[in-house]
Amino acid sequence: MSDAMGGSKGPDRLDLLLTDYFRPEAAPDLPRRIAAAAQESRAALERFEARLAVEATVRGVSRVALGAAAKPATATARRLVEQAREEIHEYLRGQRAFFRVPVDLAAVPEFQRRVLEAATHIPFGEGRPYAWVAARIGHPRALRAVGTALGKNPVPLIVPCHRVWRSDGSVGGYVFGTDVKDRLAALERTTPVLEGCTSTRIVCRVGCIHGRHMRPENRVVFASVEDACSVGYRPCKVCRPAA
Amino acid sequence: MDGERGLMARVARGDQAAFAELAGRYSGRLMAVAGRLLGSRADAEDAVQRAFLQCFASAGTYDARWAVSTWLYRILTNICVDELRRRATRSAHDERSAGALAAASSNHHPPAAYLDLHRALARVPREARVLLALRYVDGLSYGELARIRGISINTVKSQLARGKALLRAELGKRGAEHV
Repeated sequence: MSDAMGGSKGPDRLDLLLTDYFRPEAAPDLPRRIAAAAQESRAALERFEARLAVEATVRGVSRVALGAAAKPATATARRLVEQAREEIHEYLRGQRAFFRVPVDLAAVPEFQRRVLEAATHIPFGEGRPYAWVAARIGHPRALRAVGTALGKNPVPLIVPCHRVWRSDGSVGGYVFGTDVKDRLAALERTTPVLEGCTSTRIVCRVGCIHGRHMRPENRVVFASVEDACSVGYRPCKVCRPAA
Repeated sequence: MDGERGLMARVARGDQAAFAELAGRYSGRLMAVAGRLLGSRADAEDAVQRAFLQCFASAGTYDARWAVSTWLYRILTNICVDELRRRATRSAHDERSAGALAAASSNHHPPAAYLDLHRALARVPREARVLLALRYVDGLSYGELARIRGISINTVKSQLARGKALLRAELGKRGAEHV
């Protein structure tokens, strides 16, 4: 192997040291465990998606819930429902890290609207305690009211109330049940946020319109926009990942 | 190589035995890359497991022009790089409030002989570190590295050279006699 290391001069001491350091290790029962885990995977979230109802007004999505959905009143509302369904579908498959579809919170009281607005600022894949939300809206002691406002979130998933946890790290409540909340946290932990296209050398947020046309073999994940730029990529002008 | 592509075709048809064989063939090398990039054995196993699951789920889109190893390394590297991103944002944000989502990964303790190298590697920029790991685990060519990370061969060369220069400087600073 070492002849492949050092280029024209052959391997030097650093090459040998690195080769030794990166020597593969035996993982005897790993293959068996992996094969077992492959059996279950995403079935639970797919069953969950099948039961979701989405409703919209002309201004945006107004309700995401389990059960039956009312028929959209207008063509615009129907388009928004379709867009929301598609984005939720991609989100649950780990192909989307943000929602573009607008929400209509006109029917929501002022306090709750501010709580929900604060929740949208929690980055994908992260969590914040109820106290963080309370502090952010300027009512640091209104923990219970914040919890109630989040519990009545009319557009869960899109407004990410599932990213609000108890201060001790336990899940707290969730409109779809704590099991779904756990699964969403796990899903977001394993969904990348920045992807680059190897043919265009553009780095996008996962879920950007550009990414949709990206072939799977052209997809590379980056840890930061700076990392991507350091190897010759540029940020997308549509989804603006650096913003 | 043809044998491997045949194996992939069987995986794409949902053949569990072929999948287990693929996992058996590659898990050691993938573990080495993930282990050195992520530090802890548990995180590395998790990453490798996810890589195989993704590979199983997307075997249908596997392009036979790719070597199976290149394809697997791409999937694994994508997962590891994203995990590194998550850690960076986690440490930037107040750990206290990150709650259970920030379940801290246990620190991996490399053998004492590698401690200097381990520390020096932590100072190498992420993209260069990823390339070094891939290069030294499997002796991958510049072309393969370029393909795995979606960059040009010249960028691979310059990143590797820069990474090694940094390592030499760091190890020199620590007075290690072997560089």
